[in-house]
Amino acid sequence: MNLDDDVKKIFFETFPLLTESDFDWEKLQNNYEDWDSFAQLNLVTLTEAKFEINFSDDEITSINSAKSLLEITKSKL
Amino acid sequence: MNTINRFLIDSSKANPEKLALIDDDSKFTFSELEEKVIKFSSFLNQFEEKSVISLLFENTSEFVISYLGIINSGCVAHLIPTGISQSNLEHQISSAQPKLVLSSDSYFHRIKDIELKNLEKLKFSDVKELSSKNKTPAPTDYAYLIYTSGTTSTPKGVPITHSSCDFSTKNIAKTLDYSQNDIDLLPLQMSHSFGLGCLHTSLYVGSTLVLQKNPKPTDILESITKYNVTTLAAIPSTLSNIVSNYYDDSLNSLSNLRLIITNSTFFPPETIRKIKSVLKTGIVATYYGLTEASRSTFMLFDDEKKIESVGKPSDGIQIKINDENNDGVGEIWIRGPNVIDNYWKKEYSENKSDEWLKTGDLGKFDSEGFLYILGRVDDLINVSGEKVYPQEIERIVKVLSGIDEVIAVPMKHKSFGEVVKLFVKKSRDSKINSGDILAYCIKNMERFKVPAKIEFIEDFPRTDYGKIKRFMLKE
Repeated sequence: MNLDDDVKKIFFETFPLLTESDFDWEKLQNNYEDWDSFAQLNLVTLTEAKFEINFSDDEITSINSAKSLLEITKSKL
Repeated sequence: MNTINRFLIDSSKANPEKLALIDDDSKFTFSELEEKVIKFSSFLNQFEEKSVISLLFENTSEFVISYLGIINSGCVAHLIPTGISQSNLEHQISSAQPKLVLSSDSYFHRIKDIELKNLEKLKFSDVKELSSKNKTPAPTDYAYLIYTSGTTSTPKGVPITHSSCDFSTKNIAKTLDYSQNDIDLLPLQMSHSFGLGCLHTSLYVGSTLVLQKNPKPTDILESITKYNVTTLAAIPSTLSNIVSNYYDDSLNSLSNLRLIITNSTFFPPETIRKIKSVLKTGIVATYYGLTEASRSTFMLFDDEKKIESVGKPSDGIQIKINDENNDGVGEIWIRGPNVIDNYWKKEYSENKSDEWLKTGDLGKFDSEGFLYILGRVDDLINVSGEKVYPQEIERIVKVLSGIDEVIAVPMKHKSFGEVVKLFVKKSRDSKINSGDILAYCIKNMERFKVPAKIEFIEDFPRTDYGKIKRFMLKE
């Protein structure tokens, strides 16, 4: 699997109700019904664990879509 | 109310030639054991009544003779686990202020350099019969002193009276149906209240007690067959080890047991199911208790729906949930003859209110009166106002294969105040990683319960009794 697939998989693991047809790299946090602050924490923790990286507070705050998570993750690898 | 020495005297009178005790090296009938104890106490009678005498022994007949000898001489037996650290040993001796420390010959090196004014130190083989006047303890006297394991704080001395012990022993015998026909296998240290309670029960009902120095599964299975054992007392990890690593023919030796008793507030359901599937007609049981309130509940696992409960309050014991929340969860309070009056020399406050012992454990009752333990009041994790019970997280994660032990603790967090941090000890050769665990948690828990950090650990900091020191994992 490549990085895109890995990040996408993290999204599906964090948001179990998400379907393939609903997924959009550009879709923003406020368009997800269940993306609250706890989901943000889960998303960040899972990504950090899978890639063995650490996000700063600013980076965590800036994650608001699958695309932004992908880009920040890419910059860490 | 009886004193503990009466258990042996009465059984010896009823069945003098019956086998009372078996260990690796020796066998004693009740009359032989009684004779040994009387001889031993003739030496101890030189000490003033109510003097403390410390004991450091393995799980052998020498321990039983020494312990009962102390009881018989009206002294207080301070029981030290063999795995004790040097600093804890010094702490206990300094707090207990014994007149004599007795050890098995092989443990004498641990005590010979202890310094305390007027303290004598002896090996078991040094004790000789003396001509002395017999003494008789009273039911309200302290019989023994055990220090708490230090799981949650500094070990505290817990003195137990003869009458409290008599009450708990009779409850154990009645609830678990012990009788003189039993042959009880004990691969547990008797310096811990679980093992000691088993010794008292065997003496009280007049059954035969088989002592085993270590809890190795192969030795346990062999002893069950060799001695036609009917009951086994073991900690959950020993039982899990047996049912996970031994199959078919090996496990057949378990099948005729009438009782397997353990002592945990959390007994893995999978282990209970596996044991039940092996037993032909026997029962699996556990209990909930503290050193300060022995055997407060009993649970006989005969209902799958109650598999996570610790059972109902024992006869004569009251349990209530104090300051319960909307879910019925609150601190467990206990009242009854099994509850201590005070810690040793009142070194700590007894943490009681109107005779109710505040246990510090969190729990709830279901509609049928079964008690469930959810963790410790101090261990509760407060994630942005949401209460998380560590044991709930641990139970969920423990189901994953590749994990031996897991502990959830609070971790400070800028936005949420606290979040869950997980310490995980992997099984040997396990390939599980934190991503696997987190993905599983997200799928199986509410979001606020999902750990924000996972740390793998070679082993946990433990007390001398092998319990995990949870407080040392907290920030």
